[in-house]
Amino acid sequence: MANELAALSSELATAVEACGKYIVAVHARPRFSSSGVFWKPGVIVTAEHTIRQEEEITVTLPDGVTAPAALAGSDSGTDIAVLRVEGGTDAPPRAARIAPGHVALSIGRSQDSGVNAAMGIVSAVSGEWRTWRGGRLDQYIRLDLTLFPGSDGGLVVNTSGETIGIASSALSRIAGLAIPAANVDRVVEQILARGHVTRSYLGVGLQPVELPDHRKGLMVLSLEAGGPAAKAGLLLGDILTAVAGSPVSDTGEVQSALEGHAPGSAAEVGLVRGGEARTLTVVLGERRRG
Amino acid sequence: MLGWGDVAERLRRATVQVRAVGGGRGAGSGVVWDADGLIVTNAHVLRGPRLEVELWDGRTMLAAVVSRDARRDLAALRIGARDLEPAAAGDSDALRPGELVMAVGSPLGFAGALSTGTVHSAGDGWVRAAVRLAPGNSGGPLANARGQVVGINTAILNGLGLAVPSNTVRDFLVRGARPALGAVLEPVPLGLRILELDPGGAAERANLRAGDVLLTRREDLDAALDSGRGVLRLHFLRGDWRKVREAAVGLGGRAEAAA
Repeated sequence: MANELAALSSELATAVEACGKYIVAVHARPRFSSSGVFWKPGVIVTAEHTIRQEEEITVTLPDGVTAPAALAGSDSGTDIAVLRVEGGTDAPPRAARIAPGHVALSIGRSQDSGVNAAMGIVSAVSGEWRTWRGGRLDQYIRLDLTLFPGSDGGLVVNTSGETIGIASSALSRIAGLAIPAANVDRVVEQILARGHVTRSYLGVGLQPVELPDHRKGLMVLSLEAGGPAAKAGLLLGDILTAVAGSPVSDTGEVQSALEGHAPGSAAEVGLVRGGEARTLTVVLGERRRG
Repeated sequence: MLGWGDVAERLRRATVQVRAVGGGRGAGSGVVWDADGLIVTNAHVLRGPRLEVELWDGRTMLAAVVSRDARRDLAALRIGARDLEPAAAGDSDALRPGELVMAVGSPLGFAGALSTGTVHSAGDGWVRAAVRLAPGNSGGPLANARGQVVGINTAILNGLGLAVPSNTVRDFLVRGARPALGAVLEPVPLGLRILELDPGGAAERANLRAGDVLLTRREDLDAALDSGRGVLRLHFLRGDWRKVREAAVGLGGRAEAAA
């Protein structure tokens, strides 16, 4: 009894099977394991929020063997953690196009059940998106797909088994997301090179305010003693209007403006002090976490 | 070419509601296993001394319990009908994660409701399905994309549907129920405490009582029950924690076969 449904069913199961060799179970929290994906030989990526211990992390590999894994580093902003293990494969192939309505499979692994899968669709795709954890994703890829407790950190693929992203239920309250592969690439590269993701910072606490000419700015309400901004001569009460050439009216814009400016580099900060516009040069500091 | 609608309609005609005569606490579901009135369902949906089965076309008839296996949560019923459209049974060992599956049942009282999803994982004695289920799905079919029954929907765990594999159902139907102790057990630090006894069950016949603590683990008890021995000697504690008692539990063996 040949039918279209059986053909689709078989196609889905084949895609899951083909991806199985990339997927591991990650044991780094009580009760539920999470899933992880080989991104290159010896390197596994998973969802940062599922890593609750820094030591004695183990992974169940595709062949069922349990192996120790070391936490190489993590970035809570994008919910990505990087583990090192022995062996493994390169990353799975990438989807060339990701669009709302595409069928999406989340593929994970647990020690008891082996490879596991759930199906749904990509429900929304948009451009750059800042997470509430302070990271920036190249794309916002929302999933209409049930992420079970062990699915986080696993792989989200299309029906051809091509990567849509890494599954995370911790970046949005309303839906699971796929963390884009391009973001995973960058975080992996930085963590392998330096052990952490570098993020430049000014060392100020800011409050959005409106200037008399109706322009928006951010008033400095706190200043880290000896921090980058304090060293550059910023004062409490200064109102920031531009950072590194970009106008800023909220803290998200400040963070975006700082991206691409490495710690240690100089950035011009435009501000209003006592009603007069000024420019100061701040040597950016490095914030280690978050 | 068959789509969800056609496959689901066939499955719906092979799905029944199972309930206690006189109504009461909700209905479970069941699967028509052969044309001559054999119905497979969960043991836990059988409540009350008299049961009735309602077919997809509204016919309602009394059902007799042919066999029940509390440990595997399966039961076989027989109804007086000869013209039923049975479900085809699939091979649960051949299931692959990602395969499409569908469940039919009476969740929240809606008879014949369909939910669809995928096989999440198979192994360790269960088919796990990423399918939305509700309590009224218990005892009903989980089927693959060809409409073949691959499991009996039994429980919901962390949002996943758990189904007894169809190959386990086959074993139950051919070889009968496995010996059971006839007691509801709760794990405690020393072993297993008896919460409740089935009237006339093996534990009750051996004079075990609610509150007794069996000095064994569940895996060991299951292995002993499956060992084929006619009598099990179980050590247990009652009241005085320093005095280990012994009970001789007589087991019926796998006597009754349903098909």
